[in-house]
Amino acid sequence: MRRPDAKVVLLGGASVGKTSLLRRYTERRFPDSVSTVGGAFYLKPWRALHLSIWDTAGREQFHGLGSMYCRGAAAVILTYDVTHLQSLVELEDRFLGLTDSANKDCLFVIVGNKVDLTEEAGEGDAHGLGQAGGARACPRVPKQVLREDAVALYKKILRYKMLDEKDAPAAEHMCFETSAKTGHNVDLLFEAVFDMVVPMVLQQKAEEPVETVDLTGHKPPKQARPRCCS
Amino acid sequence: MAGHTADMMSIKAFTLVSAVERELLMNDQERVNIECVECCGRNLYVGTSDCFIYHFLLEEKVLPSGTVAFTATKQLHRHLGFKKPVSELRAASALDRLLVLCDSCISLVSMHSLEPVPSGARIKGASTFALNENPVGGDPFCVEVCILSIKRRTIQVFLVYEDRVQIVKEVSTPEQPLAVAVDGHFLCLALSTQYIILNYNTGFSQDLFPYCSEEKRPIVKRIGRQEFLLAGPGGLGMFATVAGISQRAPVHWSENVIGAAVCFPYVIALDNEFITVHSMLDQQQKQTLPFKEGHILQDFEGRVIVATSKGVYILVPLPLEKQIQDLLASHRVEEALVLAKGARRNIPREKFQVMYRRILQQAGFIQFAQLQFLEAKELFRSGHLDVRELISLHPFLLPTSSSFTRCHPPLHEYADLNQLTQGDQEKMAKCKRFLMSYLNEVRSTEVANGYKEDIDTALLKLYAEADHDSLLDLLVTENFCLLTDSAAWLEKHRKYFALGLLYHYNKQDAAAVQLWVNIVNGDIQDSTRSDLYEYVVDFLTYCSDQQLVWTYADWVLQKSEEVGVQVFTKRSVDEQQQNSFNPDNVITCLKKYPRALVKYLEHLVVDRSMQKEEYHTQLAMLYLEELLQQRVATSSSDAATTEMQTKLRHLLQKSDLYRVHFLIERIQGAGLPVERAILHGKLGEHEQALRILVHELGDTAAAEDYCLWSSEGQDAPCRQRLFHTLLTMYLQAGPLAPELTVAAVDLLNRHTSEFDATQVLQLLPGSWSVQLLRPFLTGAVRGSIHTRRTAQVALGLARSENLLHAYDKMRLKGSAIQLSDRNLCQLCQHPFSEPVFIRYPNGGLVHTHCAASRHSSPTPGTRT
Repeated sequence: MRRPDAKVVLLGGASVGKTSLLRRYTERRFPDSVSTVGGAFYLKPWRALHLSIWDTAGREQFHGLGSMYCRGAAAVILTYDVTHLQSLVELEDRFLGLTDSANKDCLFVIVGNKVDLTEEAGEGDAHGLGQAGGARACPRVPKQVLREDAVALYKKILRYKMLDEKDAPAAEHMCFETSAKTGHNVDLLFEAVFDMVVPMVLQQKAEEPVETVDLTGHKPPKQARPRCCS
Repeated sequence: MAGHTADMMSIKAFTLVSAVERELLMNDQERVNIECVECCGRNLYVGTSDCFIYHFLLEEKVLPSGTVAFTATKQLHRHLGFKKPVSELRAASALDRLLVLCDSCISLVSMHSLEPVPSGARIKGASTFALNENPVGGDPFCVEVCILSIKRRTIQVFLVYEDRVQIVKEVSTPEQPLAVAVDGHFLCLALSTQYIILNYNTGFSQDLFPYCSEEKRPIVKRIGRQEFLLAGPGGLGMFATVAGISQRAPVHWSENVIGAAVCFPYVIALDNEFITVHSMLDQQQKQTLPFKEGHILQDFEGRVIVATSKGVYILVPLPLEKQIQDLLASHRVEEALVLAKGARRNIPREKFQVMYRRILQQAGFIQFAQLQFLEAKELFRSGHLDVRELISLHPFLLPTSSSFTRCHPPLHEYADLNQLTQGDQEKMAKCKRFLMSYLNEVRSTEVANGYKEDIDTALLKLYAEADHDSLLDLLVTENFCLLTDSAAWLEKHRKYFALGLLYHYNKQDAAAVQLWVNIVNGDIQDSTRSDLYEYVVDFLTYCSDQQLVWTYADWVLQKSEEVGVQVFTKRSVDEQQQNSFNPDNVITCLKKYPRALVKYLEHLVVDRSMQKEEYHTQLAMLYLEELLQQRVATSSSDAATTEMQTKLRHLLQKSDLYRVHFLIERIQGAGLPVERAILHGKLGEHEQALRILVHELGDTAAAEDYCLWSSEGQDAPCRQRLFHTLLTMYLQAGPLAPELTVAAVDLLNRHTSEFDATQVLQLLPGSWSVQLLRPFLTGAVRGSIHTRRTAQVALGLARSENLLHAYDKMRLKGSAIQLSDRNLCQLCQHPFSEPVFIRYPNGGLVHTHCAASRHSSPTPGTRT
């Protein structure tokens, strides 16, 4: 099994569609999915690197695991449901703290899923919806979370991380609105994230010491550990 | 739904076998319980609630049915001398010591005698302990032991020797530790509210995740280098590395798991009712074994032991290969491959490769049988499948001479394609199409090495059967089709043209041509090529077998003289000159085929410009005869005649080699005046030629034309002579033939420059008006003036050149030369005895006689 070169973690409350987003991207379909237990991951080869994408469980019960999943993450995709304001609020209240264990230069991406359900989607995406079975069963609801709210959250995160807005990627590149059901923006989301992660990994690789042992380069031996129970 | 999924994924990975019967242990003492178990090699130790240690020897037997059975033989049992239960046992085989935790004290006893060590070395105040299986110190004569102290929030690390113990480190923890596992410097600890990784060397600790120790017993289990398995919330089996990250997705256990063990690639968990088996590779639950009241589950160097309070059992893993075969048998390709790949680490490289390839091949056949050709192809390719396995599924495709026998044990269950498709013709066709494309792809790769004949022959058969265009491509490029097998098959499928190609490829051109000739003649039917006759001609043209060409020369000529003759005319020039294809032989052969002969002679005369009188004469004669024949056949001169006549005229005009007299004889009275005129012209009898044209034919344009072409390449006077002759002829006719007078005027006016005006003026009748001859006269006068002016210019130029020379001469003569005794002749180096000398333009002086002789000898200096 190949060690992944970098980790991308999907975080967000229960039923916002993290698993659906990942399955739409990896399997090109939108199956009925059951509530994720614990977590799952998917290995994605991308431009000579192997990225692991962790799908976490949104349920409160597994909340404690989030911090470990985020440890060493190169990017965190914070996911909310555009028809559910509370899901955005939760990102800040419950999930942001989990990302403390992520890499220092970790990227934050904010994704509003389920845009297919909103009234706005009506005109533009009607065709796509018509094809997806059961679309009629879901009544259209007003969009509860606006893009501006997501952008505001992104800026809040930067402040929380004590990052200067100028140094971090611009909010408009980091906030997405997707539909796992129709596939709207899903590839764009993941591929944009991967493309941002790759240069970071390459830079890290270049910086970290070579793992090969240099037999010719002699280094003075480290000070011997004290032998006795001193 | 979930149950159904579990069913789908299930596999038989382990069987549960009893190891120690309770009678052997307890002697029917109901109140005594098994507290702990240790297994080291064949030694099995059991600690009981009444403070006894039992030592058994395990013997493994494979029963004829293939199942494994264990018998345990009791060696010893010893009471430890306390009233407390034996809570933990660990063997340190290198030290021949058993570490026994009883009444919060770890003591050392001999593994064989179970006697305590004489030194009485012990570690006091331990609630539980763990051995470091990845020790940091290099000393083989000690083991590293980490204990959780009964003192609050303290962990101690000891080195345990044969008969002494030594504390190495004491670390305090933020909360009370409840369970521990060790790897290197890293302790994985279950505290009362969370799991942490603690580096006891640096003291650095890393939180993993929270859990609630009041709700459930923590599990901390080292599963390999730097990786632990932990019981998480919601019945999760969580993986964590010493770096505090998770590299595998969690497995989903039941909420009340009490023990976990690892037997690669499986994670085994125990709860009150079941033993569950999950794969670490895909996190799926693979097996569930009912097991009531179990309370111990541990793995010991790959052996997994479970125990109730009364009995000990062993979970015997089925060999991986067997598991994989079971998966393949139920067509679960993906899982089989995952399992096989996962086994890579546990199996020696060579053995693994052989096994893995075989699995890939088997998987390939499963996909193939489901018509999943893309997947099948990839599996066959990566599994390095001997393609003959695939070919042999198709009856009769392998050549009879092939030494191939299917691999044993077989890679699949199918006798042949018929069985595989259950006679479904459409499926069969799909399989064949796949095989075609697959064979075509691999035939030029190293996969084909060693049995290219089998592959190409099979491919040929498939193509022939399917009436596929590539059949011909296969045969005209490099191939290894076996002749006898392929020939029989092609004949069976009436692919005679292809059969010919096969013969040709096998250097049996005669057979090939005979076959094709038969097709053209309609003796056998094959519509592959509608232009087969032309193909045969072409084939013979480039055929190096001369005998073969001669054999079929008559046949091709009989079919079409014009096309057939190409076997001679299109042949390479080198070949035409030598051996049996020299022109004389060919002409002899072509005697019977006049049109072919004409073509051939045209080829010799026109294309190859052969300067041989016979060919030219013969060609002219043939043209003539043909022309005459056409004349007879059709009274009016149609296109064909005109064409023939043009050819004849062209030849007569251009060639100087044919026998003119001979032709003139033949042409007399044939009504071909132009041709006759040309012939006379060739003899130099221009007057006669012109007379024919003017008087017999009355074609003044032809006469004019004659003057032009027959003087082509000759000097100007010659041409003038011809025009004058013509003019004279026109004028002689006098007023009786006014049209000739007009012709004369036209001739003069059109070809002014071809005439000498003075001569012409003398010839012209005085009655002609100047107006009539204006163009001629203007031209003539202009010409004359032009000539004069040109001459004047030439004269001027010559004069100026003369002047330049005169100047040079003057300049050279201008200076005086003093001749004395000191002057020596440059040639003979003697002084001048006479006043006469010669001076070269460069100033050198020589004797006159030396200068005279110098012209015949090499120059000493340049004469400018």
